[in-house]
Amino acid sequence: MLEIVLNNLGLFLFVGLAVLGYFAGGLAERRHYRSIREREAELVHLPVVSSEDILPDRPVARSCLVTGSVVVSIDYFKRILASLRNLFGGRVGAYETLVDRARREAVLRMKEQARRRGACMVLNLRLETAVVGRSADKKRGLGSVEVVAYGTALVPPRG
Amino acid sequence: MKFTARLPDGSVNVPHTHPLVELAWLGAGLAVAAVAVFVVLGWAGEYAAARLPVAYEDWLGARVAGTFPGQESPGLAGRVERLVATSPPGSPLHAYRFRVVVVDRPDVNAVAVPGGTIAVFRGLLDQARSGNELDMVLAHELGHFAHRDHLRNLGRGLGPVVLGLVLFGRDSAVSELVANLCLTLEARYSREQEAAADRFAVDLLVAANGHAGGAVDLFRRLAAEAGPSLPYVLASHPHPADRIRQIEARIASRGYPVRPTEPLDRPAGRPPSE
Repeated sequence: MLEIVLNNLGLFLFVGLAVLGYFAGGLAERRHYRSIREREAELVHLPVVSSEDILPDRPVARSCLVTGSVVVSIDYFKRILASLRNLFGGRVGAYETLVDRARREAVLRMKEQARRRGACMVLNLRLETAVVGRSADKKRGLGSVEVVAYGTALVPPRG
Repeated sequence: MKFTARLPDGSVNVPHTHPLVELAWLGAGLAVAAVAVFVVLGWAGEYAAARLPVAYEDWLGARVAGTFPGQESPGLAGRVERLVATSPPGSPLHAYRFRVVVVDRPDVNAVAVPGGTIAVFRGLLDQARSGNELDMVLAHELGHFAHRDHLRNLGRGLGPVVLGLVLFGRDSAVSELVANLCLTLEARYSREQEAAADRFAVDLLVAANGHAGGAVDLFRRLAAEAGPSLPYVLASHPHPADRIRQIEARIASRGYPVRPTEPLDRPAGRPPSE
């Protein structure tokens, strides 16, 4: 038995990493979504719009740039699922949840920064994305994706 | 314009299929594709291998020569030469330069190696009691050469290996596993291939010796001996009783005479000094 494992170490490593990726990645994803939903409910009353020229119906003292940035990595299981998907084509669901989490987390972090600055609204929301990591553009590497959310926070006068 | 606070609707951007369900579908698709490629590549590989010129086979044989390390046996090679000399002029066997290697393994087996090498295991030589039995075994392997069975199996095995290389790359454990499983020189022949080689062997035995004596003796002994630990030849070849029946049917239908065999004075393949 041990001999079989040692002779096919690569194969067992592959399966082991996939199982680890499935459980660890799944756990991380569920916890992250729970946190995202809680914080979204908490920050729901801070308006964020992508428009440039909608001004709030109260005076604005100053404005500042707020950003939120997230880097997430895929797990081994998602990579296998995505590489299988590469063969057949279609919706890469494994990556969609990842990008969805990154985007919502980036907006949340931006909103948290805006709230700390005392903003009443964020205008001109923009989202950018980049591939990060040395192995990200290589075929066999585990890639990471960065999502940056930024906008203009409008801060009302004090008092 | 009035701003209404609303939580984001997460339902459109994420899939609603469970990842394991997706994995199962994709895995099933891959399996279907793999089976299709396996069948097509296997068929193509077998088709091409069966038509491989002997000169190319020699090139291949030089590369696998080390697979069965052993001592060359001029005595057995002489028997092969005599058998080949009596085969009809159009036979593909004349293109080969045969060598016989005695491999020190206890299995009762012989293997047709690409390039015209017949590897005979020590276990088989210890079982043989007559020169006619040895001729039968060697003629059976010559039958595999004549029908190119040894190459067909190798060509068929290439299919999954190529598939593994394409899918998983050259330095992957999966490719290596597939190659180890599929590219073995001790590949099993099908029942029909074995039966055809037996028929070929009987015909050649009669052409060389003038009678079919000794054609079934070895199989009889193996069938009688087959206890709980079956010799290798029983596992990889059809049941000896079936083979005996088919060989005897061939002898009867062709009306071949059966005369007494010439017994060996010492175990075959061993040098006289032992």
